[in-house]
Amino acid sequence: MNASQDHAVPACLSLRGLSVSFGAQRVLDGLDWQLPTGQVVGLLGRNGAGKTTLIEALLGLREPDAGQALLLGQPSQALPDDVRARIGYVPQRSDLFEWLTADQLLAYFRSFYPRWNDAMVQGLMSRWDIARDKPIGKLSGGQQQRLSIVRALAHQPELLVLDEPVASLDPAGRRDFLGELVDQVVDRRTTVLFSTHILSDLERVAVDVAFLTGGRIALHAPLDELLESSVRLGGVPADIARFVSEHRLQALSRDARGPVVARRRDASGMPPATPTVSVDPATLEDLFLALTA
Amino acid sequence: MPDISLFSVVAGSAEPIYRQLVAQVRRCVAGGQLKAGDELPSVRDLAQSLAVNPMTVSKAFGLLEAEGLVTRRRGLAMVIAEQHRRAQPAADRVDLLRPTLERAAQEVRQLQLPSSQALALFKTILHEHEGE
Repeated sequence: MNASQDHAVPACLSLRGLSVSFGAQRVLDGLDWQLPTGQVVGLLGRNGAGKTTLIEALLGLREPDAGQALLLGQPSQALPDDVRARIGYVPQRSDLFEWLTADQLLAYFRSFYPRWNDAMVQGLMSRWDIARDKPIGKLSGGQQQRLSIVRALAHQPELLVLDEPVASLDPAGRRDFLGELVDQVVDRRTTVLFSTHILSDLERVAVDVAFLTGGRIALHAPLDELLESSVRLGGVPADIARFVSEHRLQALSRDARGPVVARRRDASGMPPATPTVSVDPATLEDLFLALTA
Repeated sequence: MPDISLFSVVAGSAEPIYRQLVAQVRRCVAGGQLKAGDELPSVRDLAQSLAVNPMTVSKAFGLLEAEGLVTRRRGLAMVIAEQHRRAQPAADRVDLLRPTLERAAQEVRQLQLPSSQALALFKTILHEHEGE
């Protein structure tokens, strides 16, 4: 591949003070975030938290009101073509030209990319059973999504940005897609940013998880470490508050609606339950509910 | 040939996937299903078949190596270490079950179930799987 991958690469993505508003509503509010190179990072947030807005802003598809986005070391708002060719993007809503057939679409995109992998494209088209000669508009939602994934993988991007890529796939289709993603990661150390609300998929492939809430990244941490250091507490608020301070835990829950989740600050074991406070290991779902409330 | 079907992962668990894999190998070695010299699947094959990140599989294998349960053979394959020739005595194996049963016991107490009823259910479940 190209030589620039061999020396130190800048952080794949760097966002500083990014703000985006729709009318009076501030969706991103001075958001700071760094994406490590070569990692699969899951972006988690509730519906309407701004995941798609964040993705569009970091790709330069939406102009922020304030702040800066650097993608592969270049400002997102003015990405040179050669940098754009190193990025793959699967948007939440299919943006394929509906009057073309899949074969015509792929032939069209192929002409833009020097690193187009035709063998992989042909393999995926057969394995994923995508009709080649029907207008794309006539394909099912799942097939369109698969085609969109093929298109994003075909030029072997260094950075792959996936906005709810599996929303219209059935469990078998999601499994195929995850397998393909795993292959990509092994072969090319692709950096993957993966937004989804299907936590079980994310758990399988994400090394890091980031929680978007209140217009900012509330927490970005390795998933394994987060699961091992977090506990779900049960009991009345006063008892829990005392327990948290006695064990010097870091409370993660943002308000009283979700489960009460706290994180140990050191490598000590799980604090023992008391007659008034129950302690259980936290799952990703607990963390999601607590952090994105 | 390494048997991939010995491995499975559950998403949605509080136990990270790499720990699930480590615990499965530990149990298979203790039970004698995996013995000295048996090969583990490659990181890539296992990651592919479970649809998990290869780094997660590597992490599990690294931990197993550090524990002395497996050794890295020249080339790529990980094999079960020399000292694990036969299954551990049942008295040791049963200890590995303790954490899971402790959790179950806690739930039995929370549900205020009599232990006879909980034990009867456990017996039924054990027999269900014997038939498979």
